[in-house]
Amino acid sequence: MNLGKQLKEGLLTQNPVLVQMLGLCSTMAITTSIMNGLGMGVSVLIILTASNVVISAIRKIVPDKIRIAMFIVVIAGFVTCVDLLLQAFVPAIAASLGVFIPLIVVNCIILGRAEAFSYKNGVGASFFDGIFQGLGYTLVLLAMCFIRELLGAGTLAGFRIIPEQFPIGILTLPVGGFLVLGFLIAAMQWALSKSKEGK
Amino acid sequence: MSTKSKEKVQMDPAYIIKLTVTLLVTCVVVAAALGGVNAVTEEKIDAINWANTVAAMKAVVADPDNTTFSDELPLTDEMTAASGSVTLDSVYEVQVGGAGAGYAIKVVASGSQGKIEMMVGVDGEGTVTGVSIVKNAETAGIGSKVMTNMPTASGVGVLSQFEGKSAADAPLTVGANVDAISGATVSTRGVTNGVNAALAVAGVMG
Repeated sequence: MNLGKQLKEGLLTQNPVLVQMLGLCSTMAITTSIMNGLGMGVSVLIILTASNVVISAIRKIVPDKIRIAMFIVVIAGFVTCVDLLLQAFVPAIAASLGVFIPLIVVNCIILGRAEAFSYKNGVGASFFDGIFQGLGYTLVLLAMCFIRELLGAGTLAGFRIIPEQFPIGILTLPVGGFLVLGFLIAAMQWALSKSKEGK
Repeated sequence: MSTKSKEKVQMDPAYIIKLTVTLLVTCVVVAAALGGVNAVTEEKIDAINWANTVAAMKAVVADPDNTTFSDELPLTDEMTAASGSVTLDSVYEVQVGGAGAGYAIKVVASGSQGKIEMMVGVDGEGTVTGVSIVKNAETAGIGSKVMTNMPTASGVGVLSQFEGKSAADAPLTVGANVDAISGATVSTRGVTNGVNAALAVAGVMG
């Protein structure tokens, strides 16, 4: 187990959104306010960690041929749990994320990590993989939310920062999601290639 | 980790049974866990949904402090037919001092970005007492202006303008007797269709 390496991979060199290009749909759809981004990021982090641990724990008894079906059942179970718990205890977040919580089932970050990591690694390493990849996802969401909410709606976590007539409304629309994500991916690739050159 | 990529499909019955049983056991375990979570959260979720419904209904009646609401009324074919292309979700009787004083009608109309779930209050005379939006996906900054009852060019809130309208004014039409928010005509039209449907439903209920 190499925690430092796993952390660096999750946040930077193997960032799920900006490098692996997983989970782009939800990234663009829900990043219109900081609270949404935080709720979605934390939900994915919890589900990813839990499903990583369970899948790693049962990896020896899962027949190879039906592993994807087993993964999906486990993931769907955790997603439904989180969905119900959010609805019961944090209804405001559940209402604003709406259908995107149930859709975490098909979020490729989770299935991707199950297949690429937890099916091949021990429980401990899979646990931290879930945390770090989840953090990487959450940080990208927060960065997008920050840009889109501040410049698109002129608010941050609901507080008005920029007077109402100035924000660039287009950033809160789907097209704004594509633009901001594109710029972030470009910036990330640039930074990664820079750091490679430096070595 | 099957490395033998060209291996034939294994038709050994014992193997197939093993696959089936493993998958079945997993599903049963997950279903049981979900049943447990559901048992814990079901009541809370129902309570929250009912509180939201009541809050939405209180927003559309004339005297919210002295008003109570019946349980959901059964929907008849006549009622669903009256709502036409708008989906009739549920109907509650509005009660003041225990006596019926109209209906709170929840309908789902289509807006520009998806469904608009809205509550329409109609009093005993068939006059709209209020309109409130329960759930919507209208564009932030454009259609959302309709959802938050921003004033139209005439200065009246876009949702408030429906108050006092009745079946006599029907069909309410954007541009004729309903003012739209500039740039959000489609959202306004969606809400208007919802109000028309609610009036029609109240009409057949008498």
